[in-house]
Amino acid sequence: MKRLLVIALSTLLFGFSLIAQAVSVEDSKGTFSINYVPQRIVVLEFSFVDALAAVGVSPVGIADDKDSNRILKEIRDEIGDWASVGTRSQPSLETISSLKPDLIIADISRHEGVYADLQKIAPTLILPSRRATYEENLQATAIIGKAIGKDKEMQARLKKHDEVMAELAAQLPKGKEVQFGVARDDALFLHTADSYAGGVIRALGLKNANTGRSDDAYRQTSLEQLLTVNPDYFIVGNYVTPSIVDKWKSEPLWSILKAAKNNHIYAVNPNTWSRCRGIISAETMGQDLIKVFNAKK
Amino acid sequence: MATRSLPFLILAMIGLLIANLMFGAVSIPFKQILAGLQTGNEHYFTIHEYRLPRTILAMLVGAMMALAGALVQGVIRNPLASPDVLGVSHGAGLAAVFYMTFFPNADISWLPAVALVGSLVAALMLWWLCGSHSSTIKLAITGVALAALYASCIDFLMLVKPLEINNALLWLTGSLWGRGWNQLAMLLPWLLLIPFALWLAKPLNLIHLGDDSAISLGIKANKLRLASLAIAVGLTASCVAICGPIGFLGLVAPHLTRKLVGGRHQILLPATMLVGAILLLLADLVARTIDPPIELPAGIMTAIIGAPYFLWLLLRTK
Amino acid sequence: MISLRFSFFAQCLLLLLLLFACSWISLFSWSVITVTPADALHALYNMNQDSIAQHIVHDLRLPRVLVGIMVGANLAAAGVIMQGLTQNPLASPSVLGINAGAALGMASVSTIAPWFGLLGSSIAAIIGGGIAWAFVMLLGSAWRGGNEHGRLVLAGVAISALCAALTKAVIIIAEDQAAGVLTWLAGSLTDARWQTFDSLWPVCLIGLLGAMLIAPTLNLLQLGDDNARNLGVSLMWVKLGGSFLVLLLVGSAISSVGAIGFVGLLVPHMARMLAGQDHRKFLPIAMILGACLVVLSDTVSRGIIYPAETPAGAILALIGAPFFIYLVRKRTL
Repeated sequence: MKRLLVIALSTLLFGFSLIAQAVSVEDSKGTFSINYVPQRIVVLEFSFVDALAAVGVSPVGIADDKDSNRILKEIRDEIGDWASVGTRSQPSLETISSLKPDLIIADISRHEGVYADLQKIAPTLILPSRRATYEENLQATAIIGKAIGKDKEMQARLKKHDEVMAELAAQLPKGKEVQFGVARDDALFLHTADSYAGGVIRALGLKNANTGRSDDAYRQTSLEQLLTVNPDYFIVGNYVTPSIVDKWKSEPLWSILKAAKNNHIYAVNPNTWSRCRGIISAETMGQDLIKVFNAKK
Repeated sequence: MATRSLPFLILAMIGLLIANLMFGAVSIPFKQILAGLQTGNEHYFTIHEYRLPRTILAMLVGAMMALAGALVQGVIRNPLASPDVLGVSHGAGLAAVFYMTFFPNADISWLPAVALVGSLVAALMLWWLCGSHSSTIKLAITGVALAALYASCIDFLMLVKPLEINNALLWLTGSLWGRGWNQLAMLLPWLLLIPFALWLAKPLNLIHLGDDSAISLGIKANKLRLASLAIAVGLTASCVAICGPIGFLGLVAPHLTRKLVGGRHQILLPATMLVGAILLLLADLVARTIDPPIELPAGIMTAIIGAPYFLWLLLRTK
Repeated sequence: MISLRFSFFAQCLLLLLLLFACSWISLFSWSVITVTPADALHALYNMNQDSIAQHIVHDLRLPRVLVGIMVGANLAAAGVIMQGLTQNPLASPSVLGINAGAALGMASVSTIAPWFGLLGSSIAAIIGGGIAWAFVMLLGSAWRGGNEHGRLVLAGVAISALCAALTKAVIIIAEDQAAGVLTWLAGSLTDARWQTFDSLWPVCLIGLLGAMLIAPTLNLLQLGDDNARNLGVSLMWVKLGGSFLVLLLVGSAISSVGAIGFVGLLVPHMARMLAGQDHRKFLPIAMILGACLVVLSDTVSRGIIYPAETPAGAILALIGAPFFIYLVRKRTL
């Protein structure tokens, strides 16, 4: 009986793998081919979780820094339970291996050093995530869709994403200048036009504030420099409260900021805006912005 | 007394070797370990591809760093000296951080080579500044000053290009994460230095009697110093290139060993290698199992284990 | 060198002029909003409330310059006292572990144990620095005196390395705070405000006055411990008092702007070249020089990757470390 079941199952699996013919995609290390539909996926960056959740696929393991709250609630609800495989910077390879994945999605910036080891565990798709722009992120998402055999769904989802973004953009005033920054206890980091958040802001028909030199995505900024950037709308993600921005608020110079004068400073969830980087979080960011612009009326 | 502790050390090391193979994010029973060495076994990756090379690497790196420390302390004759005072690890760090910040897209597998070049250049720099005639203490302080220079350059780079901070910091703390057979193969040629180091044991004892008596016994003190330091540099540089600077190992291990087996270099040198291996195996084991699946860099653990012991020891020897 | 042999007061006057010039330049240079040199002066006397430029000068730049002056003077004075107490030309807060200890105290409070917050990061910095300094003095057997310069420095380096390793551990465990803590570790005047000034100046004043008072005794220590004892100096009390002053000066400086290094090493030597070996003369000169150096490097730090800022401490370290090497090579140890 047991043997029969095994035979039946394996024929079934074989059948599936025939249906899902081999796909080849270009990742950051060249051509990646896979000839089955992966069922047990381990992802090592948050943006890939977003991509999987967008087409309703649940990963079995996530490098979530052992803090499940770092993943957006919308996404958590979508994907259900997962096993933590450690930090994004040093995921535990043996935990990954113990999950017996059939696909690993890794970040070229963080995990290039262990790419060879990851490949020994399972086929590894390596794509840009950290330091990736909005456009690069969309491309990576499309590639993930192909690799997990959900190309059609993903294309549809991406198209829907474009529509959603266009719709959101339509509700937002054109060309307003918006700047996003992450505030910690003792430092403010502005996300410039080259960053993911900067790209989303542009995609929503808004404008990035001019932050001067633009060779880096995140820039530590003093109050004086913030004054020179002087954005119309200032969106802050506070990793801790009270953050440095709260301290600055009591200073006379703060009131000179255009955004402070017109009450255009808004707090948002920094996980959505800075860590997650994906189409779902981009849409959430759009909704955040709509709240921002409706609030003033 | 001296020779009696050797079997214990060997036993402890073997025990830790096995423990390192058994425990981790997932525990594997002892019986399955051997089975895990065969391809196709369910633990093949964990045992053969992951834990085994990492464990061997920890053992070798620990032994080499400790040996380098014993050599440097033997030559400089100061309990506070360690390979760190030669500025070698900071030189490697500077080269690595430079490489990571200015070539963020370059192949990361070149990093050990870059770090190795950095540390060797640092050693040459020290030699160029001091020559072979400086007093050893002056050599140490010059090394320290050079290390301070490299450290300030590292800080400057990390502050000007903040994006790579975490990658760089991880490397700078020293970690065995993600090191496998390839890195082990890179380390192997450097093991040749170990017999040379052991061969120096006897003359090292003699210069402890003082330069004059050593010379009268037919030993050229300067040449001996140069040789010992060069070997220490080679050992440190190769380890740092692969694992990053693992702090305190070279400082603490020789001290601990001296307490166990006394100061005769013929026994001290082999024993300190055992102790170094034990310390790093322990540090890596703790770093992997303290809060799985989170992996801490082993360098943090050696600092946390080594630092308080080191302080206690120094205060007691006063 | 004849030009350097001005009378002591002429030297002080010239250096003060230099300090004034540095400060003035710092008030208006490298700003994205144009601040004219005239704005910088207007903001001091009769401020035009509507001018952003003058607001920047008055609310940001002025406290920054003033804090820079005090920090520079503090660190330089601390360096002079440390070199006097230990009779070691390499003694300084950064070489002998105070900076690293303070940084460890600060980092552990701000990342691992924020609930420690009631302790306050500045107090943590002072405690950390104090413990490190005590260890270094004990290990380096500095209390016994003698000529073991190398031993003291090695002890300082070992303790610094220990603190640095633990600090790094703390930073990595709390990954997200890394960038902020690094800036703080290097030492930056960016966040110096009037509040910082208000909390710094009383301590600074007491510390600097104390330093002036201890200066004649430091002269006696130069004669060697035994001679000093014969002249009626209580070594124990001088060293304890001196250490307390050093902690006060360094702790207050570090807690307000972070672990700025090498000022305490560099400046006393420069001052000695100008004013000779008499502590009563070269201590004030060192204070003014230290202030100039910090203000100057703060100004440069704003320009080096303009419009972003580099911490001033990183610049000072780049100047200071080669000087350290030079000192080691020059002195016979």
